[in-house]
Amino acid sequence: MLELQDLHKHYGDVAALDGCSFEVRRGQLLGFLGPNGAGKTTAMRAIFGLVRPDHGALRWDSDTISAETRLRFGYMPEQRGLYPRMRIHEQLVYFGRLHGMSKTAARHRASEWLERLGVAERRDGRLEELSHGNQQRIQLAAALVHEPDLLVLDEPFAGLDPLGVESMGEILSERAAAGAAVVFSSHQLDLVEDLCEDVVVINEGRIVLNGPVRELRARSPYRYLDVEISGGSPDWPSAIPGAEVVSIGDGRVRLRLDDTADLGAIVAVAEKAGVVRQFSFEPPNLSEVFREAVGR
Amino acid sequence: MRPLTSLLLVAIRDFKERVMSRAFQFSTGLTILLVIAVIVAPSFFDSVGGVQWTIGTVGEVDPAMVEQVTATAPIADVTVDSTAFDDLAAAETALEDGDVDIVVAPGQIVVNDATDPTLMALVDASLMAAGALDRAATLGLSPGDLADLLTGDYEIRKIGADGTGEASNRAFAFGATVFLFISIITYGQWILIGVIEEKTNRVVEVVLGAVRPHTLLAGKILGIGVLGLAQLIVVGGIALVGLRIQDAFDVPTATAAIALAVFVWFVLGFAFYATAYAAAGSLVSRQEEAQNVAFPMTILLMIGYFVASFSLAGENTVLRIASLLPPFAPMTMPMRMASGEASVWELTLSLTLMVCAVYLLIRLAGKIYSGALLRSGAKVKLRDAWRAAEG
Repeated sequence: MLELQDLHKHYGDVAALDGCSFEVRRGQLLGFLGPNGAGKTTAMRAIFGLVRPDHGALRWDSDTISAETRLRFGYMPEQRGLYPRMRIHEQLVYFGRLHGMSKTAARHRASEWLERLGVAERRDGRLEELSHGNQQRIQLAAALVHEPDLLVLDEPFAGLDPLGVESMGEILSERAAAGAAVVFSSHQLDLVEDLCEDVVVINEGRIVLNGPVRELRARSPYRYLDVEISGGSPDWPSAIPGAEVVSIGDGRVRLRLDDTADLGAIVAVAEKAGVVRQFSFEPPNLSEVFREAVGR
Repeated sequence: MRPLTSLLLVAIRDFKERVMSRAFQFSTGLTILLVIAVIVAPSFFDSVGGVQWTIGTVGEVDPAMVEQVTATAPIADVTVDSTAFDDLAAAETALEDGDVDIVVAPGQIVVNDATDPTLMALVDASLMAAGALDRAATLGLSPGDLADLLTGDYEIRKIGADGTGEASNRAFAFGATVFLFISIITYGQWILIGVIEEKTNRVVEVVLGAVRPHTLLAGKILGIGVLGLAQLIVVGGIALVGLRIQDAFDVPTATAAIALAVFVWFVLGFAFYATAYAAAGSLVSRQEEAQNVAFPMTILLMIGYFVASFSLAGENTVLRIASLLPPFAPMTMPMRMASGEASVWELTLSLTLMVCAVYLLIRLAGKIYSGALLRSGAKVKLRDAWRAAEG
């Protein structure tokens, strides 16, 4: 299990991490969310010793993380980077061996991953000759080649086409199912909601939400109401106490209700305005939970 | 065990990447061609401009005579060969046409106005010697006895420009200085560019997840250093072999000392400057800034080089002082060693200072490197890099 405990990191007057704590268990696929500049990348870099926290502890299986422990970690940084002129297979073998694999094992695994990711026929090409999407695949393979116990990926879905997104998602789920602790950051919240049972949300350097997606949604003080009516004026929901319009258009209205809102009264207003086609009442989706948590 | 394995992996990767690069293969090939050209060209022009004589022979001419002439000719800086003719008339025509320079037939030597007196004397003496051999045999003297009888108690010694004195050693050693200067600057730049490249394309973040900054730095310096040394040995070896074959000028007294000096000072000088180049490279994130951060090293190397080149005429105080100081010693001390002007205590002091300087710089630059490597964007201030470094 990976534990980040009360991490603090300041750059001048700016606090990149301000008491950040969370855990990733083996077998867990954890979504790590937060607006830009919230501290996601800093926290991930701290795991790999690329940032030295001013304060706090980082542990793996209850031991302080050392250079030795990190050999069992795999990292895909946000800013992709590999050796552009190095041959692809050779490059993966190199990273495998840097993480302590034998030459034979590294070669074998590298070939397997190239096969799996559909770039086997480019194995002796140079990285710089590949398309952007394929370079991204190699970057993933470089993080995976030594079959790490902990896999940390910074925005792994950014810049992938729908097929790439799907295969990336499959691989991450599969690694978690195989017993690795997997944590990744993303801004694509629908995707995270599909893939992950658990998320943590960081804002201004500290964790503001942490838990299973379903619980976080249920725990929200707000409920969302979708109403579709035909005929009638579109501004019917204005001035309903306890309700706030989230979106409106094409006869559909999405309202955010706090606990003072009277559902019966809203139904009455809606029926007065036109014929109600659809009426659904549900907890917020992950994006809405996220927005509530970061206050934007 | 781990850091050593990682260090070797890094070193091998850096070594291979450069060996495989077109730029490296091209520059090595070009250097080798240049070295060969520099060595071969003068002797090529020599043989074209040098004197070449041909002896025309007719009938039964003693082959010992021709051998004798051919063997003696180099003393007079000429080359001699021979052409056989069927009859005297043909040979004389060839002499008149200038195809041969002298004709030797049984019982006579034919010359014309164009025949060089030296050639005439050579042929005359050789015929006499060959004849003497025959007659000695009939008198019961062996060729050895005859040689004893004829050999004088003296040797021929040539003096002048090609003497094997101090001045020529120093000139030759200056060649080594040029070599060291170019090598350290070239391989130092590779380190500089390599470090910036890793930083620019962010691969360093993946690498540093598995390797400590000091190990990465040491591996890089080792890999490129060994490559540089290999290139140096190949090019230097070709140069030395070429000089031996061509016998272009007298090298023996200085060769071994210079080879050793070049080796030791390349290793020390490269370790010193490579570390400095790596630290400089870690401060910036763009190749465009490479030359700016390399400026201090370039200046130090240039100073050492100029001190050496201004001291070609002989020892001076500036050279003596520079050869003791670490940044300049690699460019200046080999020259003094080769000319035999450096005393043992000076050499010991210079080497001790250099080794200490390398050690200190590795500690210092290693810290700057690990502090600055992960900071991208604007140029990192030395002080910030120092503070950010671990330990």
